[in-house]
Amino acid sequence: MSALLEAHGVSKAFAGVRAVDDASLVVQEGSITALIGPNGAGKSTLFNCISGFLRPDEGRIELAGRRIDRRPPHRIVAAGLGRTFQTARALTRMTVLDNVRLAAPAHPGERLRDLVARRSAVRRREHEVTEQANDLLRLVRLDTHADALSGTLSGGQRKLLDLARILMASPRLILLDEPMAGVNPALREELLAHVLELRGSRGITFLVVEHDLGFVMQASDRVVVMTEGRILMDGTPDEVRNDERVIDAYLGTHA
Amino acid sequence: MNVLSSGEFWAFVGVMAGIYTLFTLGLQVQFGLAGLLNFGQVGFMAIGAYTMAILVTKVGWSMWLAAPLAVGAAALAGVLVGLPTLRLRGDYFAIVTIAFSEIVRWVATNEDGLTGGSQGTINLTGQGTAAQYNGQWERFQRWVGAQLHIADKDVVMLLLVWSAALLLLWLTARLARTPWGRVLRAIREDEEATSSLGKHVFVYRLQALAIGAGMAGLAGCVYAWQFSFFSPDDFQPLITFFGWMILILGGVGRVWAVPVGAAVFGFLFAATRFFDFAPFSYLDSADRAYVRLMVIGLVIIGLVVFRPQGLLGRRDEMVLE
Repeated sequence: MSALLEAHGVSKAFAGVRAVDDASLVVQEGSITALIGPNGAGKSTLFNCISGFLRPDEGRIELAGRRIDRRPPHRIVAAGLGRTFQTARALTRMTVLDNVRLAAPAHPGERLRDLVARRSAVRRREHEVTEQANDLLRLVRLDTHADALSGTLSGGQRKLLDLARILMASPRLILLDEPMAGVNPALREELLAHVLELRGSRGITFLVVEHDLGFVMQASDRVVVMTEGRILMDGTPDEVRNDERVIDAYLGTHA
Repeated sequence: MNVLSSGEFWAFVGVMAGIYTLFTLGLQVQFGLAGLLNFGQVGFMAIGAYTMAILVTKVGWSMWLAAPLAVGAAALAGVLVGLPTLRLRGDYFAIVTIAFSEIVRWVATNEDGLTGGSQGTINLTGQGTAAQYNGQWERFQRWVGAQLHIADKDVVMLLLVWSAALLLLWLTARLARTPWGRVLRAIREDEEATSSLGKHVFVYRLQALAIGAGMAGLAGCVYAWQFSFFSPDDFQPLITFFGWMILILGGVGRVWAVPVGAAVFGFLFAATRFFDFAPFSYLDSADRAYVRLMVIGLVIIGLVVFRPQGLLGRRDEMVLE
């Protein structure tokens, strides 16, 4: 295995408070890596730095050896890194199908010049994109909702839609921000199965922020623990589970 | 005879509705599709009108060359306004646009040498000469009238304005249904989510702003031809807000709602001036001119309360869950 994502000494401060403080982590290609830590540990800030929504004050972030920490979000997606958000960001006034089609990369129909000059290429690509989107919706079992406005979906279904949508961008690495939050137990199982399946069949790497420790222990190969902006430790789920510092950080005092 | 039963009057109302359709269609592209709060649309209209008039009278160009260039100049102004400001939050962008349109108006008022200043286009070629920019347009209008055997100049204008409006409406409706339009609708809803799906939000917004500005530029040219004369006073911020009223009346996000809103607005605006029955007859005509604005205001308040999607909009697209 080789490193797909590397963060070196990343720091980000807000009004003098260091939300992320000299954080370094490595995500191996093909792994499912969990990022855990108490609320306010800086997990989401680090996620936003990696996905380009925040520019780190210090440090460097590399995807497959290429620096991405000075790039805007849309170029990071193009480089192969996709993300979801803590609360699903379904575009509620668009149909479920349009939500997924939107994420298609390299669509000539999204360029004004090509709309006029390359009409057959636009039609061909749109046809291709629609088929691919329908396949993804079948995968997450939302195909029967394809033509409904995504605002009619439940919270859990929106998380599935978010997943299908980012898959449309065919990323190598997906950052999942609390995929299990607000999802009912039946759908949780389904989401977990999808993540494992996608890693197996498509070789997609995952970096997951998650509070559901059941998911973390079951699914991940590596666990990175953050607290107060710093990386506390990095190990296998078993190592993390038995580490006193982790217990301390979560429970505050020794039991 | 009552003015309300005169064909000439209704042709005039129809022409104005057509000009407002062109003007508001630009707002529909910018706000209805891309979510941009442009409160300075009239500035782009002024740039279109002045560019055409100046190129014809001062440079001596053919109207057929000057008009497309005027539309291009308005679109270019959209790009120049957008470049430094489209990264701002929506409300700041709105403030910048209104300032922009006022700057355009004040420059037009004070740059006598370029625009004829506050005396308007008649002063374009300097004191002592009466500048005319629409000779070619009137010849064209007469030619069209002769081809169609229509003697009335206003009816010809009505046909020309609405032909242009329908063509642009059709093109815009098609554009809204393309993958490009899909990206714009996504940006309107959630720009962060859209950029997380690999879309360069800034570029799309700039394109929407420029296209909408170009439409206002065309509205400016048509306005100039209709009245044969204009001055900076024709481009008050109020015109932009008329456009917004039409947008809300018709329905945000629906291309074909624009002409409906423009027709209803045009009718209310023009017809209320001539209401000579009670209670309007208690007021003199100058007061009535203000009352009609109140009437339109009330209609819009009622609409926003009872039918927020406008006359033709889709409710689920406008109302938060």
